[in-house]
Amino acid sequence: MRAPSRLLGAALGAVLALSLSGCGSSAPEGTGQVKLTLWHNSADPAPLLEMYKKFEKQSGHKIELVSIPSDGFEDTTQTKWATGERPDILEYHATVSGLLALNPAQNLRDLTGESYIARSGDLYQAAGSVNGKVYAAITGFPQVFGLYYNKKVFTKAGLTPPANFTELAAACPKLKAAGVTPVFESGGSIWPVQILPILYLAGANQSNAYGKAIAGHSSTLADAGSPFVSGLTAYAKLKSDGCFNKDIVTAKFEDSMKALVTGEAAMVAQHSDMLPALLAAAGGDQKTVDESVGFVGLSSDKPLVTYAPGPIGTFYLPKTGDAAREKASLDFVRFMTGPAYAEYITASKTFPVFKDVPDPQGVSSVLQDVKKAYDTGAVIAFNSDIPGMGGLAQLMSELIAGQKDPQKAATQLQGQVEQAAKAAGLPGW
Amino acid sequence: MVMRNRAAWLPWALPAIVLVMVFFVAPFLLNVRFAFSSWTSFRAEITWNGLENFSTLIDQDLLANAVTVTVVYAILCMAIQNTVSLSLALALQRTSRINTIFRSAFFLPTLISPLAAGYIWRGLLAPDGAVNSFLGLEWAWLGEPATALVVVAFIDAWKWSGLITLVYIAGLNSIPKSLLESATVDGAGPWTRFRRVVFPMLAPALTFNVAVTLVGALSAYDVIAATTGGGPGDHTRALNVVMRQQWGQGFFGSASALGFTVTLLVIATAVPLVWWLRRREVTG
Repeated sequence: MRAPSRLLGAALGAVLALSLSGCGSSAPEGTGQVKLTLWHNSADPAPLLEMYKKFEKQSGHKIELVSIPSDGFEDTTQTKWATGERPDILEYHATVSGLLALNPAQNLRDLTGESYIARSGDLYQAAGSVNGKVYAAITGFPQVFGLYYNKKVFTKAGLTPPANFTELAAACPKLKAAGVTPVFESGGSIWPVQILPILYLAGANQSNAYGKAIAGHSSTLADAGSPFVSGLTAYAKLKSDGCFNKDIVTAKFEDSMKALVTGEAAMVAQHSDMLPALLAAAGGDQKTVDESVGFVGLSSDKPLVTYAPGPIGTFYLPKTGDAAREKASLDFVRFMTGPAYAEYITASKTFPVFKDVPDPQGVSSVLQDVKKAYDTGAVIAFNSDIPGMGGLAQLMSELIAGQKDPQKAATQLQGQVEQAAKAAGLPGW
Repeated sequence: MVMRNRAAWLPWALPAIVLVMVFFVAPFLLNVRFAFSSWTSFRAEITWNGLENFSTLIDQDLLANAVTVTVVYAILCMAIQNTVSLSLALALQRTSRINTIFRSAFFLPTLISPLAAGYIWRGLLAPDGAVNSFLGLEWAWLGEPATALVVVAFIDAWKWSGLITLVYIAGLNSIPKSLLESATVDGAGPWTRFRRVVFPMLAPALTFNVAVTLVGALSAYDVIAATTGGGPGDHTRALNVVMRQQWGQGFFGSASALGFTVTLLVIATAVPLVWWLRRREVTG
């Protein structure tokens, strides 16, 4: 009986040793090649995924992709991050509010001296940097928020797409009379319902004035008659006027894309990174999308688009303490921002963030609309630099359910901003 | 004599005691301090901040609602699961081929991931889903404040009733047939037999099932996350849902405070409940 026990013990020991040896992420010794872990957004488009493969091929390093679902992307990333787990490369938001929540000085590598920064214009003045240090490598064109609209529906109803909230409210009854849902909202996915109020605020946030006032504590979201309260009030009015779909509470954003393409809905407030989802809703038929969907800017009073540097193609290098992997991950950033970037722009048919890379040919008409609206008038999202704004979507759910009025929702969100700003040690708090 | 018996049982209880200590008591003691700390994702320092996390959660109208939703949800789950399962157990008590098939069918949902179960039901209960098509309605079962919490509790019951049913069947089969025969000879009808003999004899199974369903529902997260995400508004925003939201925003101290609240709620509910049910087993 004893011999089998010893054998069993030895076998278990061997299994344990083998399992433990498999836990490390370094690759074969002596080759200089390592395995890099990349936490990425599940909505990464195919050309970006292809770039990861090209890097593997060129460098010999391996990339282990850890996919974070785009639904609940921020929550899930933060949850994994909070456990102390660190990837070699992190794809995440470039907004200052998103960056602050990663405690960059403590956890991220400073990329300030990298050559891509000088080629990016003033992009890093508003994104990817904190206290003068650049932590992000932004390769994706900013997410441009505005109003997708169904061209055929508007033509049939004899209307032009709205340029401000007054026109939007005026278009609602006419579109309803034509038998379509004026604006499709997706409360089931939670995050999309915060887009319309953010669009509303673009008028007050030119040169990021409103965002700076809130982040610097010279104004509060809950000030009587504040732009934020006005935005929520305008949203509540649209809802009470019946401008939204009946299933606003349960509908997912995929439903909104489908409703827009089919003409069941006239408008959807969304951002430009949703174009692949729009294409998927059209069964992959680009012609259908181009023929039926357009994009315009919208704010309280002007046709402005709101932009925010998005997570897709924005990379950070967390400190891991492993010299070989840290070197390889920096090589990754240099690859993504280097000569291969032009190929990526050509393949993805998106616009470049580097001045020396030309715009791609054969861009879809919707994306051309996005670029045109962006070039005409773009304002950074007011919440980009304000920490603690993550609760906005949840509060919008309560506003939609009639549990909170705009003033009460603003007061509660201001409390969350205060909680985060104090924790982040922002000046003025 | 009693002491000697206890000493004799100790080796048998030891594995369970060790497991509870290692996987529950030790992590709880090691982590409880975070509920009273300034831990956030925004800075590395973690300092003691007393009850500030709790007062912040109260100021932001989060705590009271989450506790209420959690308790109501737990009571609903416990009541629905035990009623459904006891009925099923009485119907399927006798071991026959057809009953075995039904027992397996009712047990199947237990094997499905709670998230998968939630997503399936979310699709079925959508305004344009199969349930409304069948009933000829347009009701947003998971989107209306009046029905959301009750419907999620029913989904949870659908998920777990098979398991609870098996415990009741085991309890029913352990009742001596002679007792039931004597009751029948004494003129007791089916209802009287159930009320006077079967139900009192089921007390150990009832204790287990009530405690498990209630405590399990107090820690609810997965089914709610997959079906409503806490909505509409905050009508299904249970403690663990708020905890996930706070965690996701980087407010780890507040999230820990909510986790601590769940633990307190479980202890405050489960300990007296089990004590009372065990007493009932002896006296009832």
